[in-house]
Amino acid sequence: MRSATRHRIKLALRLAAASAITLFFVFPIYWLFMISFKTADEIYSYPPTWWPGQIQFNSYAVLFKDGDATTVWNSFVVASASTVIAMFLGTLCAYAIARFRTGGDHLANWIISQRMVPPIAVVFPIFLLYVWLKLVDTYIGLILLYTAFNLPYVIWMMRGYILDIPRALEESALVDGCTRWQVLWKVVFPMCRAGLFATAIFTFVFAWNDFIFALVLTRTEVTTYTVQVTHYFGGQSNFWAKISAMSVLGTVPIFIIVGFMQRYLVRGMSLGAIKG
Amino acid sequence: MADLKITDLHKYYGSTHVVKGVDLEIPAGEFTVLVGQSGCGKSTLLRTIAGLEDANQGSIEIGGQRVNDLPPRDRDIAMVFQNYALYPYMTVFENIAFGLRARRTPRAGIEPKVQRAARMLAIDHLLERFPRQLSGGQLQRVAIGRAVVRNARLYLFDEPLSNLDAQLRDEMRGEIKRLHQDLGKTMIYVTHDQIEAMTMADRIVLLRDGRIEQQGAPLELYERPATRYVAGFLGSPAMNFVPASLTAAGNALVVRTRDGTELALPPTRAETMAAHAGRPVVLGVRPEHMSRGGAGEARAGIVRHTVTIDLLQPTGARTYATFRLGDAPVVAELQAHDVSQPGERIELAFDMNRVVLIDPDSELVIAG
Amino acid sequence: MRLSSRDRRFSLSLVAPSIFLLLLVGVFPLVYLLVVSFQGITMTELDTSFQGLRNFRMLFDDERLWQSLLHTVIFTAIALPLELVLGLAMAQLFIDKLPGRPVFVALLVLPVVVSPIVAGATWSLMFDQRFGPINEVISWMLGGETTILWTIKPDLVYPAILLAEIWQWTPFMFLLLLAALSAVDKSQLEAAAIDGAGWWRTFFRIVLPAIWPVMAIAILIRALDLFRLFDIVWALTKGGPGTMTETISIFAYVKGFQQFETSYTAAVALMIIVLLSVVVMAALKRVELTR
Ligand SMILES: Nc1ncnc2c1ncn2[C@@H]1O[C@H](COP(=O)(O)OP(=O)(O)OP(=O)(O)O)[C@@H](O)[C@H]1O
Ligand SMILES: [Mg+2]
Repeated sequence: MRSATRHRIKLALRLAAASAITLFFVFPIYWLFMISFKTADEIYSYPPTWWPGQIQFNSYAVLFKDGDATTVWNSFVVASASTVIAMFLGTLCAYAIARFRTGGDHLANWIISQRMVPPIAVVFPIFLLYVWLKLVDTYIGLILLYTAFNLPYVIWMMRGYILDIPRALEESALVDGCTRWQVLWKVVFPMCRAGLFATAIFTFVFAWNDFIFALVLTRTEVTTYTVQVTHYFGGQSNFWAKISAMSVLGTVPIFIIVGFMQRYLVRGMSLGAIKG
Repeated sequence: MADLKITDLHKYYGSTHVVKGVDLEIPAGEFTVLVGQSGCGKSTLLRTIAGLEDANQGSIEIGGQRVNDLPPRDRDIAMVFQNYALYPYMTVFENIAFGLRARRTPRAGIEPKVQRAARMLAIDHLLERFPRQLSGGQLQRVAIGRAVVRNARLYLFDEPLSNLDAQLRDEMRGEIKRLHQDLGKTMIYVTHDQIEAMTMADRIVLLRDGRIEQQGAPLELYERPATRYVAGFLGSPAMNFVPASLTAAGNALVVRTRDGTELALPPTRAETMAAHAGRPVVLGVRPEHMSRGGAGEARAGIVRHTVTIDLLQPTGARTYATFRLGDAPVVAELQAHDVSQPGERIELAFDMNRVVLIDPDSELVIAG
Repeated sequence: MRLSSRDRRFSLSLVAPSIFLLLLVGVFPLVYLLVVSFQGITMTELDTSFQGLRNFRMLFDDERLWQSLLHTVIFTAIALPLELVLGLAMAQLFIDKLPGRPVFVALLVLPVVVSPIVAGATWSLMFDQRFGPINEVISWMLGGETTILWTIKPDLVYPAILLAEIWQWTPFMFLLLLAALSAVDKSQLEAAAIDGAGWWRTFFRIVLPAIWPVMAIAILIRALDLFRLFDIVWALTKGGPGTMTETISIFAYVKGFQQFETSYTAAVALMIIVLLSVVVMAALKRVELTR
């Protein structure tokens, strides 16, 4: 009986600690969301309130009226287009590397090392190139860069997923009358559907969340939501309502997406080191 | 005409030489079993035939056509893999139909073919299921069904039964054999299990370290092995090997072990082996070559010798008795009640007509 | 591996487009940086004449550059161990059965997936001197109105940025380490318990070696991220006050895109790449990324 009590107390303590920790990590997000529903008066009232006195969507309405909300659309366009291209090209490349060992270890290592180059060092010469090619502040420019920047990740992750497919499945298809291309479509892609899905989500989120590339390569036409958020930081005063509403607009889609793919999160984040 | 003809085939993985010059001809309709120890290159040979690996040297002809440069799909072969290789996202029907669809068989032709193959393998009630809903034996049937439905020229099996438990294995063995009889197709079957090889094969091809050690009908290899390796590989329990020497004693030829035991060869064999008199040999004697012979039996070549039993392993109908001959342990297969306890001294009859003698230097079996 | 010429052609055609794109962003910039860094381009003049090593010599005399590098190292040296230890502690807390664990974990994921720039914005809301909840809580505790200038006062900007950084990335460590801990062979732990090993001993002798490979990769990923730290700092302080919190990435951005010292920035970018390559090479030798 004594030990049962102790067990219970221990569990209660752990629950309390877990709740406190989770509160710490969730509270800032709560605060961000909550601010976006407050009226301007309430945001700038002292002392701050912990719950909006009156929930309203005026902050969002302003964003849509001013056209600022299109930056979310811009983010969506570049993130999804670059994801589709990177997934397609990267998966094919990953297949060759995994199955034919094309380029050997050198190519695989070079590709993953590309992932580690700091963006600022890449974006600077790219910017100069884009000025020359007139690609600054265009969808194509951003899409191209995101595609290239995400390729190493796609190749690396898909290589892992493809290596998980038993070779015999493909060989059986070859013997049964498929060409190499047919094997790709009929066996490889269906077999790593989950991996394709998870990797695409990550690729999308990387592009969606990027700030520095967009900061350098956009002006007014294809500004993404991350850049737009920083526009509301004034010298003296910050436009909290807009900052929070714009941040929420950019964050909600990610929360929804991530909610659907909890299972693949860890493998994606660890560059495939942990298999879920 | 040979359905498959392989000439001087070599295969390297990087710098490792795996298939080292194989010549093989397989007549149409024959069931050939490739057998050999793990790692001897059976799978590699099979996969090279299928075109899944590229040959480094030599030629492969299927139905008289050189196929070295053809991709697997154009070689007119079907293959069954060790781990079934079924597509988990397809139903059994789709799995079996896969090869037909890949070859653009008219839609109307697919259904009846799949149905027929499924009935043949007694899996027609499983067609709507997915592989994960099947047992090991059922999975294997589907994998075979996928090959059968194709009506290929050459069927390849790579250890298809090694994932099944012993009982299912026996059952499937019979099934594949029956299938072969029904279809009359040329089949090549890889296994490292010598019992599987013995029971299924029209012809056994025994591979050793990338080369063909010997080929022939199962009983031919069993009774007239060409080398010590073949003699030791086939048979369970394995053949006993006793170092000895061949000594002339008057007209007769005697196998003398190290402890001085003398076992005389029958006159017919003595004649052909006379040239080896005075040389060291290895006596190869299978467990069933010894028996607790009754007094009546006195054929030529039956030699009696009294031994002390060290160890008994009863298996029911038979008992394996271990004793020492020369300095080697020897296992004899006796009737259940031939001997009652270790330490017992019994007289055994050695059938010297059937034992083999091996030249210890070349490891070749001495003819005769 | 020996491939038939058919397969070789097939595999090369699969790789080619990706390699082309990667060369475009992997090798072209490098070459371009190399060329430009030997020239003398600035905002005012388009001097493309060969300047030799002038820009690289300037690197050594640039106090601000070395300061920014130092700031980057400081951020990394503090944030990384803290994230690791906190993440590990949290993983330990959650590894045993706990009611509602999936909910907790799902909530804890949120900071990781938020854009760093949004994380920075969120924390600037949190740190706001008058309307932010942090000062409000401190006011309660001290019993009087407090207006601490978190992102402006020199001795508070580092804690402020580090708090935001640690807030965002500790859950990353937590998730990876939780997965690693769940994969530890339970029978080994039971065997240790039977042998009478205490908690610490079990942890250092069995658990730590078992989760080390994952830990090493997590550390590598985070270290590389911290080395290019930009967004959170940009949102909170833009490198200020003065240049107090300027990281190497912010420094390069300011030089290249606000002061337009094109050639000099090229030299800085090259230096960053070389420096990082050395670190990555050394790290990759120790971490098993390739399976
Ligand atoms: N892809 C490969 N790369 C390098 N070496 C290989 C490769 N595949 C097989 N080998 C080597 O070639 C030799 C023959 O292999 P193979 O798979 O043909 O043997 P096996 O007779 O089928 O054995 P088992 O009965 O175990 O299946 C082995 O020594 C193996 O290590
Ligand atoms: Mg094999």
